[in-house]
Amino acid sequence: MAQSNQPLADRMEPVAGSGTPIVIAPGHTFASVTDKISSIVLTQRTPVGYYIALLTAAGLAGLLLMSLSYLVVKGIGIWGNNIPVGWAFDITNFVWWIGIGHAGTLISAILLLLKQTWRTSINRFAEAMTLFAVACAGIFPLFHTGRPWLAYWLFPIPNTMSVWPQFRSPLIWDVFAVSTYATVSALFWYVGLVPDVATLRDRAQGKVAQRIYGMMSLGWRGSARHWHRYETAYLLLAGLSTPLVVSVHSVVSFDFSVSILPGWHTTIFPPYFVAGAIYSGFAMVLTLAIPMRVVYGLEDFITMRHLQNMAKVMLLTGLIVAYGYGVEAFMAWYGGNYYEGFMMLNRINGPYWPQYWALIFCNVIFPQLLWFKKIRMNVPMLFVISIVVNVGMWLERFVIIVLSLHRDFLPSSWGMFRPTFWDWSTYVGTIGLFLTLFFLFVRLLPAISIFEMRTIVPEAKVQEGHGH
Amino acid sequence: MALRETAEQIFPELAQKQRTFLLAGAAGLVLSAVGYTMNPEQFFSSYLLAYMLVLGLTLGALGFVMIHQLSGGAWGVVARQSLGAASRVMPVVTLLFIPIAIGMPHLYEWTHADVVNADPILRGKAAYLNTSFFLVRAAIYFIVWNGLVFLLNKWSKEQDETGNLELPLRMQRVSAGGLLLHVLCVSFAAFDWVMSRDPHWFSTIYGALVLVGQGLVAMAFQIIVLAWLARRKPMSEALTPVYLGDLAGLMFAMVVLWAYMSFSQYLIIWSGNLPEEIMWYLHREQPGWIPLAIVLVVFHFAAPFFLLLMRGIKRNPSLVTKVAMLVIVARVIDLFWLIAPETHHEGFVLSWMDLVLPAAMFALWVGLYFQQLRQRPLLPLNDPQFEEALGPAFAHADHGTAH
Repeated sequence: MAQSNQPLADRMEPVAGSGTPIVIAPGHTFASVTDKISSIVLTQRTPVGYYIALLTAAGLAGLLLMSLSYLVVKGIGIWGNNIPVGWAFDITNFVWWIGIGHAGTLISAILLLLKQTWRTSINRFAEAMTLFAVACAGIFPLFHTGRPWLAYWLFPIPNTMSVWPQFRSPLIWDVFAVSTYATVSALFWYVGLVPDVATLRDRAQGKVAQRIYGMMSLGWRGSARHWHRYETAYLLLAGLSTPLVVSVHSVVSFDFSVSILPGWHTTIFPPYFVAGAIYSGFAMVLTLAIPMRVVYGLEDFITMRHLQNMAKVMLLTGLIVAYGYGVEAFMAWYGGNYYEGFMMLNRINGPYWPQYWALIFCNVIFPQLLWFKKIRMNVPMLFVISIVVNVGMWLERFVIIVLSLHRDFLPSSWGMFRPTFWDWSTYVGTIGLFLTLFFLFVRLLPAISIFEMRTIVPEAKVQEGHGH
Repeated sequence: MALRETAEQIFPELAQKQRTFLLAGAAGLVLSAVGYTMNPEQFFSSYLLAYMLVLGLTLGALGFVMIHQLSGGAWGVVARQSLGAASRVMPVVTLLFIPIAIGMPHLYEWTHADVVNADPILRGKAAYLNTSFFLVRAAIYFIVWNGLVFLLNKWSKEQDETGNLELPLRMQRVSAGGLLLHVLCVSFAAFDWVMSRDPHWFSTIYGALVLVGQGLVAMAFQIIVLAWLARRKPMSEALTPVYLGDLAGLMFAMVVLWAYMSFSQYLIIWSGNLPEEIMWYLHREQPGWIPLAIVLVVFHFAAPFFLLLMRGIKRNPSLVTKVAMLVIVARVIDLFWLIAPETHHEGFVLSWMDLVLPAAMFALWVGLYFQQLRQRPLLPLNDPQFEEALGPAFAHADHGTAH
């Protein structure tokens, strides 16, 4: 019963003889899975390259710290934002990072509910990615306020002057959407980690590691009762996370679409932002997974099957995004609104035309290569495409935000945005922060869920059969 | 074995039902022809409503056939033959478009040269909104839809007969490109046939909204039929509570998507409050229309949403059938909400034709669907996923020639 329940797409590539890719390489047992994954943290010698990578990333994170400190001292005038372009790199980066997080939530929540077992080896680090991406995203609106020490004003806190946030503004919805997202993602990730951290506790040699993993595992002993409650909690959290996959980026899209600015005000925005978020998120998962599986020899766990499936999700969401661009362009003409029409021409042919066409190339044209199975099976090519899509999705947000602001209704108030050193350093700095956190995570916690991987080795199947 | 028997052999009464439905449909259409002589404007408005309903039943099924080819899933193995039968009504649905082509002057303001000339915005759109290009586009949509229906059903039949392993791959390839074309055709058909009823108004999400509506009505109809077919073997073995729940889950997803998109559209247009956009909602704020909007919120979203959250309902054939019926009625009301207010800017009007025409067209469509359903087995033979999905249920059955 349990088996026939699972979606067939999972184990089936319809035509026989084409070398069906699988979810886990053959020959693995409970013990080998546990050994392989926990050894990355506990026993394997850390390669020198790791330290170099970590130091580079940490250096960039230092740059972020410096940029933010300088910003607090001097004010946001150090960025290139100025009227008419009041939102620029900061909000672009915010939307980009938040979007990246969505793949993690989709993989861990929706694919779990859809019983897609192939998610098992990628969910853990995708969830970590979500968390780190949300952390990077949160920095931008916070510091964009200019007075981050007053950030609590964003919350509706009862006060003697009866000053409330504007509840009709999507910016306040954002505060709720993003903080809920961060909370639920963190909970989901941590709950998922508990049994594996207990495994590390039991296998760790050093006293310090034992203590730390011991505390983190919250007294997990793996009793039947623990597992029973655990499964319930995990499913409930998955249910809670599912609407967040859609709601967070829909609210982000409302930041733009409830205004009347051409290029922002359009009804397709919510679903198209969500598709774009998943698109960029899967691109980032591939960007991280491809080097990781090579460096740590995880090809048995993150198989071609995973890479292919992620490539297909990217192709699908990429096409939805392309549909959004197409419909938007068509309606800009069809709607007959002069300013909408101008906005579209300004994208195609205005001063920022290179950015616009680069976006079309990165997001619409180049990823069409994914239609070919040869390309989907070609790991270096997938890596290149994933990077290109990351760039394209960043450009998309830049085009939406800056191009609509820099030339709106009154030609006398037109202007140009030019990023300063500090714009770039803050952006690159968050990439450094993201990678630092990710490298630390890979070294200190099991990057692949051990106990869930154990459920998909052949040994588990036999036991399951007896159980029913 | 029951698996190779056609639906005709398993359900001989389908022939009788087919005749009843076809007769009822024909009678209803004749009756509404009287309405045409009385009030052509109302007739065409009601006809468009009825047409969009049966178009959704057909195209939604085609969409799910293609999605299943690409994604797999046991639900699709169970529903495949019935979905295919629904899609094969497409040639008749194509013919049913002719009255709309004839009634264009009654349906679309932009077909009148004097109106267009007096209005600079409409003049700007004339390159797109003109009679001949409208018909050319419609022809393209129908060629795409009929082509996809023809190819996929032809190969599906071949697969039943021969079990050729090339066929699934071929169907998958056609479905990938086909789905892309399908989405574009449905979107632009929605812009052309329904959205341009108010030629000034536009909404970029409109195509997606109509697409989801079609998926929803098609899935609701399939659930009703499959639950009914599950009275006898082989469907009684195939449509397990779990698979029924999967189909109901798809219906649930469509309900939620529809609500999400409708709400987003409303919120964005309401807060922007731009004259060219808000008019669409202002027409729907005229006396009598607002209660209809509330009916939609309750019966198109809230009721099916909460009912389908419950696993007990999703997996119970008789209960989920009732929810599916509610959803179909709600779909008709939603189409009415999209189409009718453009004929009645002054306030709510419900013509008898708004009831008779959709009912008649629906009956006609169901008759044609039964005709298609009867000809083939109820479950796919030689489907490569059959073992996986239904293996346990038909462990000892001899299904198909390839085995």
